[in-house]
Amino acid sequence: MSGTKGRSAPQRGPEADQVTVVRVGHGANCSSIGSVVDTLFVSATVGAAVFAAVVAALRTEVVKVVGPAPRAGKPGRPVPPEKAP
Amino acid sequence: MILRYESWGAWVKLETEAAIVALDRNGVRALGLDGGDLWSEPSSASAPIEVHLAVTARCGAGCEGCYIDARPDGVEPPRETLEGELDALRDAGVFTVAFGGGEPTTRDDLDALAAAARERGITPVLTTSGLGLTDARLERLRGFAQVNVSYDGATDTYARVRGFDGASSAERAIGKLAAAGVRVGVNVVLTRDSFPRVAETLACARDLGACEAQLLRYKPAGRAASLDYLARRLAPDQARALGPTLRELSRGLCADGAFHVRIDCALVPFLSADAELSRDAARLARLGVFGCEAGGALAAFTVDGRVAPCSFARATSLPAISLADHDRDPELARWRAYAASPAEPCASCSLRTVCRGGCKVVSSFVDGAHGPDPECPRVMEHRGRS
Repeated sequence: MSGTKGRSAPQRGPEADQVTVVRVGHGANCSSIGSVVDTLFVSATVGAAVFAAVVAALRTEVVKVVGPAPRAGKPGRPVPPEKAP
Repeated sequence: MILRYESWGAWVKLETEAAIVALDRNGVRALGLDGGDLWSEPSSASAPIEVHLAVTARCGAGCEGCYIDARPDGVEPPRETLEGELDALRDAGVFTVAFGGGEPTTRDDLDALAAAARERGITPVLTTSGLGLTDARLERLRGFAQVNVSYDGATDTYARVRGFDGASSAERAIGKLAAAGVRVGVNVVLTRDSFPRVAETLACARDLGACEAQLLRYKPAGRAASLDYLARRLAPDQARALGPTLRELSRGLCADGAFHVRIDCALVPFLSADAELSRDAARLARLGVFGCEAGGALAAFTVDGRVAPCSFARATSLPAISLADHDRDPELARWRAYAASPAEPCASCSLRTVCRGGCKVVSSFVDGAHGPDPECPRVMEHRGRS
């Protein structure tokens, strides 16, 4: 795959608070972008379970990087993180 | 998982869970990765994560509100052209491609196109009317992660939305797909006539085997860009009732987790009338609710091979195969621009960052320009005061 690289999954991965957005499901509409909304009305426990499942997957799946590949950053001049979507 | 760096961290498409997640920079570092110069130099616009690909303009259904004015003799690009466009999606790091048209199942190479998308690491999904879904056509859909059937309601409700009664064909298609083990959902267009029966429509779809329903706002594009739109769109009280309606649908149909309800980007402004939802935009954002992402997280490829901000918008001059240049296209930039500095009442709206100003296709049709969504309850109230 163009612009990709493989990497084995680490023993310890991201924490739940580092997951800023979860979009559940595939959605198969071809005309406008959709978002699952029934998760907005579930209990906090069920909502936390969604994030827990995502974190578990992040910790076990092998990573492939796609899109433009980054070059090594210039030390000492990091740009503050922009707000996640 | 498939990861694409962003200035704020990365988008990640999971493989063992059907989910796309945003990770902040520390989360990406926890995977042993680093964004390098993408995190240390000024950022350009992100590529879309989802692209809608019109694989044909051919369709015999004749829906009165067809947004691309599809016809029985519509054009159909050759497979090689579409494979070139899939290459462009791969190079840009797009996660999901939604095949549509026209009626995509009229193509006899859909299975090959689905395989071509997957070979490029892209998840293919598809929308169909379900009309004429033969066993042979169904077999060609097995490579898709999900297939949505357009289903606006039973008999007369369907007919009032589309101008003919295709409900029984859609219902047969939903049942056939589910029985064949294809993950199937439904697209439900909300009009003044279909909205009152939406609970009944979704219950029927679920009983037929659908796993999901996506509610769609009726939009003034293609054959629907006429005065008739004003009579078909949701009435103001229906728009205000969307939040409570979603709450009821979710409680009644989704409690066991086997069925989900989605709304499209253009319905998000209607949530401004729901006090509980509108006061917690951060929760909506965290749970992945997208408002107008035209030219941002979303783009469309037209049947003649050009990039459009979304399926309802006019195409830009940017060729689809040049999607990598999306951040330099002035028209795509114009579509993204409104959300950055919107006029009132969007500027002071708590939902602004999620809603992103509502549907620009609607504001362009009704008001003649990109601006506050004229059918948003909050905008209507603001205009009523001023």
